[in-house]
Amino acid sequence: MSTEVSVSAINQELDTLNMSNELSQKYLLFISDGLDFGVKASYIIEIITNHHITPLPLLPSYIKGIINLRGQIIPIIDIRSKMGKMEGEHTNYSCIIVLDINSVMVGIYVDTVSLVADIDESKISPPSPHNKQELVNGMVSMADGKTLFLIDCEKLVEN
Amino acid sequence: MDNEMDSLLETYLFETNSLMNHLDEILLDAEKSKRLTVDDVNEIFRIMHTIKGASAMMEFNSLMTSAHRLEDLFFLIRDRGVEVFDEKCDEQLHHEIFDLLFEIIDFMRSEIEKVENGEALTENIDKYQEKINSYVNKIKVAFGEEAPQQENTAAAPSAPSAEQAFSFPDASPYFLKIKFDEGIGMENLRAFMVINTLQEEGLDFKFYPEDVESNPDTCEAIIHDGLILSFAEKNTAEKASSIVQNMGNISSFEMMIQEAPPVENKSEIHASDSASAPVPEKKPASQGSEVSRSAAPAPHNPPQKQSLISVNLTKLDNLMAIVGEIVITEAMVTASPDIQGIKLDNFTKSARQLRKLTDELQDIAMGIRMLPIAGVFSKMNRIVRDMSQKLGKDVDLTIIGEETEVDKAILDGIGDPIMHIVRNSMDHGIEETVEERIAAGKSAKGHITLAAEHTGSEVVISVEDDGQGVNTEKVLQKAARNGLLTKPESEYSKQEILNLLMMPGFSTNSEVTEYSGRGVGMDVVKKNVEKVGGIVTITSEEGRGMKTTLKIPLTMAIVDGMEISVGESIFTIPIMNIRQSFKVSADEIIQDANRGEIVKRMDEFYPVFRLHELYQIPTEVTNIEDGILMWVETADKSYCLFVDELLGEQQVVVKPLPSYLNSFDVKSAGIAGCTILGNGNISIILDVLNLYQMAQAY
Repeated sequence: MSTEVSVSAINQELDTLNMSNELSQKYLLFISDGLDFGVKASYIIEIITNHHITPLPLLPSYIKGIINLRGQIIPIIDIRSKMGKMEGEHTNYSCIIVLDINSVMVGIYVDTVSLVADIDESKISPPSPHNKQELVNGMVSMADGKTLFLIDCEKLVEN
Repeated sequence: MDNEMDSLLETYLFETNSLMNHLDEILLDAEKSKRLTVDDVNEIFRIMHTIKGASAMMEFNSLMTSAHRLEDLFFLIRDRGVEVFDEKCDEQLHHEIFDLLFEIIDFMRSEIEKVENGEALTENIDKYQEKINSYVNKIKVAFGEEAPQQENTAAAPSAPSAEQAFSFPDASPYFLKIKFDEGIGMENLRAFMVINTLQEEGLDFKFYPEDVESNPDTCEAIIHDGLILSFAEKNTAEKASSIVQNMGNISSFEMMIQEAPPVENKSEIHASDSASAPVPEKKPASQGSEVSRSAAPAPHNPPQKQSLISVNLTKLDNLMAIVGEIVITEAMVTASPDIQGIKLDNFTKSARQLRKLTDELQDIAMGIRMLPIAGVFSKMNRIVRDMSQKLGKDVDLTIIGEETEVDKAILDGIGDPIMHIVRNSMDHGIEETVEERIAAGKSAKGHITLAAEHTGSEVVISVEDDGQGVNTEKVLQKAARNGLLTKPESEYSKQEILNLLMMPGFSTNSEVTEYSGRGVGMDVVKKNVEKVGGIVTITSEEGRGMKTTLKIPLTMAIVDGMEISVGESIFTIPIMNIRQSFKVSADEIIQDANRGEIVKRMDEFYPVFRLHELYQIPTEVTNIEDGILMWVETADKSYCLFVDELLGEQQVVVKPLPSYLNSFDVKSAGIAGCTILGNGNISIILDVLNLYQMAQAY
């Protein structure tokens, strides 16, 4: 009896939550090879810098290796080489964004992270047909005139 | 809600499966002694009753009905007396009951399997019902009763007639019957708490059994008949029922009114928690049989109370992972470079204490995952029994060391291989006819021995039969026919020939029988055993039998490893794979035309693989004299790995690689997993066998 009531209450709550979500979503912005990218904040566990990456032999070059994050072993994908670009130099700004994508944990290695922004989802346009980047599933024009490419996280862990 | 159902289902499957296994054991034992004892009958009755109840709650009708019918059958036997059954029924009937039971149990097992796989259950089980009914009739005839008439009441006690049998303990007009969740334990105290709560509300009533508080034996009665409260007033009864309704752990309660013609369930409300799955109509019937059972009191074994709990395996895995972390962190703290060279008496003392405790913790955590191998072994009893009958071979199975404990993950991995070997022994090992055995100077009865024992860090499991053994000639011919030979026939040693049996694509029996030779053979056994880190060896003496031995490490979670470095990378080679490590001078290395570098050790030549080349790791150590050779071996492969440096021995906790990497086939690249070293760095654990195969392809 009581369970029924609580379930419907939760559903209602979820509905309202979804509604507010439809308007805007938080995205983490990062830069890779001079371009701005965004990744949905809800996937992000944390951002780490200066972490030792253990390379694994015989893997595609975009897999930089694995890290030990407090006892969890997490594979690291280099977003530059995943997108078919040259591997960048390691700098003080280079960092790893740790994502939990449908409970698959991966880290993406990026040049630098910039900020967290609210993005109006209705303003997201589909990637241009010329775009060969299969990891990108949307584009947004930012206030400062730059274009932001949104990363399709599920695609990232798809094999 | 979904989760709750899931965990409910999980518990159901776990309990039902263990009950079925227990049932199998009872029946096999009983069949051996060719009679059912009073204890057996009681126990079977109890098991069927539990399965029936649980299945009813989960709405698995086919299971519920089958269990119900068997319960009826055993009720009948128990009611008329087991001695009478023994006396009046001839050999044939005794034999039949076992076949019937095994058949129904198999059916129930297949239904449980369907539940596990989320498939729909069989709807029409008339076939099985019919069988039980006809058997019931037969024994009734044997008992000298009128079969058809009796059948109606015994086989299907209908609700009203059963309810009438309910005996009211006193003359009060209103009764409340409360049942607790099945298997909850301490029913008497729970009953007492219910009573207490109601008394605190100032209600006036009587309760049965009357000595719930002081007498733990009343548990049984409460489980069977429920807690009975009797009220003089209707409104007190109603008030009580509204209070009881909100209490936890109550599976059902109903109000009954005395003197109302056929007692009706005025209100059957199911408590809100786990029992939200509706209990089907069947409930009254089951209560009916309980009541009539308590009316004819039979000596009932108190259920063996085991202090066991069932825990989700992932929880144990998490525990194991955390413990591994603690062990590593402890090493990190005590060996911290910050405190090196400083004299810290108290710290050292506490650190030593900490080490002792973490070691203990690790042992305990690992112990939790250990299960006796008996579960796997006892299943073989059944297989041998069934195959003996089908193949007409008389075979005895001896089990030794069933209490040997093995890691759960390994236990799951070796069930199928052992079953396969036993089947092989039954099918191909033991001679077709008794005459053949006698002619060979053996006892008429075949023997299969299943043994398990611990030897330090390994568990050794062997399956031995005294059958016809392996004809090496035939094996060699067959291997030649299948194109499995890699060198002239005459060069094969006996052991090598026996190893051919485990090659993929080799099966000595060309016919596919029901039990073995389904295109899979010993190669699958070998693969499965290797998956859990073990090795298989076969020994055989033609005409004397065959022995298959599985050597399996006790646990896969912790490995004694040797740390080595290549360039910047650190690798772990399991110690059990290492034969030797040595330095060589350049002239000891021979360039073989097609195999690359080889080295001679103990009069044999072994290939040398350079790990930095295989894995394309940049390193400064490329001169064979600067690095070190690790002589490794596994199963029948033996070779040398050239690495930069030996770092030292360490016990490591094996961590699987992230699942994301599985699609890149890291396993076949020779990587078994990874581990975290004391300084937080990751070391890659090598799989010596896969590395060899990779190097061959390289």
